[in-house]
Amino acid sequence: MRPAEIAPHPDPLRAMRERGNRAGSARWLRVPPFSAQAIVTLLILLVCGGLVVYPVVFLVEAALNTGDPQEFPLQEWGLANFAALGEDWHILANTALVACMATVMAVTFGFVVAWILTRTRVPGGARLERLMELPYYMTPLVGALAWAILASPRTGALNQVWHAVGGGGDLFDIYSPFGIAWVMALFEGTVAFVMISAAMKSMDPSLEETSRVLGAGKLRTVIKITLPLVMPGVLGATIFVFAEMLGSFAAAYVLGIPGRYYVITTAIWQATTSYPPDFGRAAAMGISLFAVMLVTLTIYRLIVRRGNYATITGKAFRPRAMEVGRAAWILLAVCWAYILVAVVLPMMALLLTSFQRFATVIVDQMQFTLANYENAVRFAAVRSALVNSLVLGFGVASIGVLVMTVLVWIIYRSRAPGHGLIEYVAMFPQAVPRLVFGLALLWAWLNIPIPIYGTLWLLALAYFTVLMPLGVRTLAGVMLQIDKSLEECARVCGASWGYQLRTVTMPLLRPGIVAAWLLLFIASVRELGVSIFLVGPNAQVIAPSIASAWLSSSTELSTALAIIQTSVVFIALAILFRAARRFTGELR
Amino acid sequence: MVRYGGVTAVAGVSFTVDRGEHVTLLGPSGCGKTTTLRAIAGLEEPSSGAIRIDGQTMYSSTDRRNIPSEKRGVSMVFQSYAVWPHMTVFDNVAYGLRVRKLPRAEVAANVDRALGLVQMREFASRPASNLSGGQQQRVALARAVAFSPTVVLFDEPLSNLDAKLRAEMRVELRELQRRLDITSVYVTHDQEEALAISDRVIVMYNGGIEQIGSPEAIYNRPKSRFVADFVGSANLIGGRLKSAPNGPGPVLFETEGGVTLQAQATHPPRGDENWVAVRTAYIDLAAGSPNGATNIAPGNIRQRLFHGDFIQYIVDWPAGQLIVRRPPTEMFEEGATVAISFAAEHCVLLEA
Repeated sequence: MRPAEIAPHPDPLRAMRERGNRAGSARWLRVPPFSAQAIVTLLILLVCGGLVVYPVVFLVEAALNTGDPQEFPLQEWGLANFAALGEDWHILANTALVACMATVMAVTFGFVVAWILTRTRVPGGARLERLMELPYYMTPLVGALAWAILASPRTGALNQVWHAVGGGGDLFDIYSPFGIAWVMALFEGTVAFVMISAAMKSMDPSLEETSRVLGAGKLRTVIKITLPLVMPGVLGATIFVFAEMLGSFAAAYVLGIPGRYYVITTAIWQATTSYPPDFGRAAAMGISLFAVMLVTLTIYRLIVRRGNYATITGKAFRPRAMEVGRAAWILLAVCWAYILVAVVLPMMALLLTSFQRFATVIVDQMQFTLANYENAVRFAAVRSALVNSLVLGFGVASIGVLVMTVLVWIIYRSRAPGHGLIEYVAMFPQAVPRLVFGLALLWAWLNIPIPIYGTLWLLALAYFTVLMPLGVRTLAGVMLQIDKSLEECARVCGASWGYQLRTVTMPLLRPGIVAAWLLLFIASVRELGVSIFLVGPNAQVIAPSIASAWLSSSTELSTALAIIQTSVVFIALAILFRAARRFTGELR
Repeated sequence: MVRYGGVTAVAGVSFTVDRGEHVTLLGPSGCGKTTTLRAIAGLEEPSSGAIRIDGQTMYSSTDRRNIPSEKRGVSMVFQSYAVWPHMTVFDNVAYGLRVRKLPRAEVAANVDRALGLVQMREFASRPASNLSGGQQQRVALARAVAFSPTVVLFDEPLSNLDAKLRAEMRVELRELQRRLDITSVYVTHDQEEALAISDRVIVMYNGGIEQIGSPEAIYNRPKSRFVADFVGSANLIGGRLKSAPNGPGPVLFETEGGVTLQAQATHPPRGDENWVAVRTAYIDLAAGSPNGATNIAPGNIRQRLFHGDFIQYIVDWPAGQLIVRRPPTEMFEEGATVAISFAAEHCVLLEA
């Protein structure tokens, strides 16, 4: 089992397509209208539907509102907010530039490393594959911080080394469009690697072997057979990653704001938090971004569907790796170079800074201290952010997993009325950029008479909503592997729906439930896009605290917090990998 | 009738199973036999019709009545066994008893009895995940009979076993049915299995019933081309009816090659029937002219395939080719001239 967060099925709509395949064999009897199943289905549909649809309605309302922003329902409305986007053309150009650069870099890294690790025989390949996923879990926020320390103009560690060896000027300025794209590619582009290596792994090796048997050489086989077969996968990954990069926020936030270099996500943030806030403009930008992403993802789906013909057969192959002889060491070095820039150097930079009184990379000026960690625990605001994040992580993961298990069961096994709709509702937040959803939630819950804004309850609800696709996807992966007759047998033996869920489905889903719990926990602890809109004085969480500590120039404190967050995530990740290994062992 | 969207999977299927009877639904994949079984279990909902078990209506489209699976009191052995891997053998078998909230001692006694029936007593405390296919099959069987259900449904329970084990389990299953006197409906696509273990066989094709009868009747007196072809092996001989009596009985049939055969009609002939079926095992071959036989014709051995348990000959005769299976004691050379003969009662007129 692979951690599902970085997209074993990165296509948010894939589950919906799979419904078509299931329809033939998977059948369950129609459900009488007043059974437990029908009532639970309706309840889930109403609650989840409300959580998802309600904020979006408010977002659309805000975008169309041309009158008094406090007025609800609308008094005057029109498309003025959208028309005003034309004035922000430079922001759109910035967004396109950064997203393109980041996509090209991410896909290049991803392709090269995926090819090395899946198609050639390099020592320790399997272990390396796991390491490749780490940058994603470090998060672009932490990555941006680390690279700001490594590559600030003049003071950055790499630039200092460059000066020391006699180089003129700066080697690398991280506060540039290229720098932003670089961080995005390293810490969010992992998806490209995962998707491309999945495409390479799912290729039937006999297709290549046939070519060899018919007399083609290694190179000819690669060019004539391997590449064309992998191409749809690579193209799909490129488009998917591009959509991700358009909606990316953290790197542009940390590295773009100081130099007033705005992309669309940071512009939305700016419009919301400047005084007076311009919700109309922010909402119009958010909806436009959502629309562009939706179009991009639709293109992605079309390509992946067309490309399905040969590579994705659904069977797991152990592709025959190519013997590369001594070149293996060069290829291995390439992989390790990636790990170095994406994991080792950033972590070292953060660790080093977090133990210093004043952040510096000049060795004889360093003063080491534990004060930053002490401060993290002593300052009430920071401490409560840490505690809140952990509480939210535990709470959202525990309750989320329970609800999502029932949700997944209904989506995949029930024939109760409305079960198909639940799938659309549950997967919808995936299609909306996180930051835009955050804005929608902010606007929606500000305007509701329930005094929930500014409390942890709102954050919990928001996390549950945006993490629903992640949990559902993870659990669905395991649910689809469970033979349906195991459940039917329980019913025939006389078990009611609830009894069957408790005694058969839940225990069999255990690997999925454990994985989903850990992934939800990790995703909660590292959440930024939604949190940044919803935190209040009495409801701080860690990721926005890291960002605000950084922007208020307490570099040392922010690195200490980043290290704490990363450690929590890595511990959860280690448990996840261990559990995954045990469960795959059990299944064999 | 069971419909999926616009596709009708099963229609006009109507039959009754007597108490203690073992009925098999036999047919090729996609004929609707599993759908029918699942409808009985309550795992599929028919779009029209009625299902009654033990006098009680489980489903009726006219009464808008549909009793859920768990309240029907049936039990089922699944093709994949569906043995729960997270439980022990004991827990698996006890499931149906515990659902019914039986006292602990009674649960233990019933599980013990059921496991004894399938000779799995010593496996009770084993986790069900590391059992062999045959053992899982036995556990599934024990689980299905442990709570004394009114009807046991079998969905191709032996299809995942290898040939040898399948033959053994067939014997055991038949034995178990006799001892427990259970009522059962069994689904299979394996005609040998169906003939061997059933009191009655229902041959299904294209979502409908082709023929209902005892195994012997199905084999000896197939009604249609499909049954003759699907159950056992038969020669289908085309031609036309020469004499058409009013009721079932002996008829004369003229083949395409001009041979007149004495055949048997199992139904009142309409006159436009144009096929007869002769089982490959019922055709005699002789070197000289056989005495007192009917339907004698000259033939020539074109090909001989030695199968061990029998020898299969392809014989040219005036009406085309015949496939003939003889015991390995009767050996003829390829190219030899033989006299073909078969009894009139084994030459069955098929319904048009």
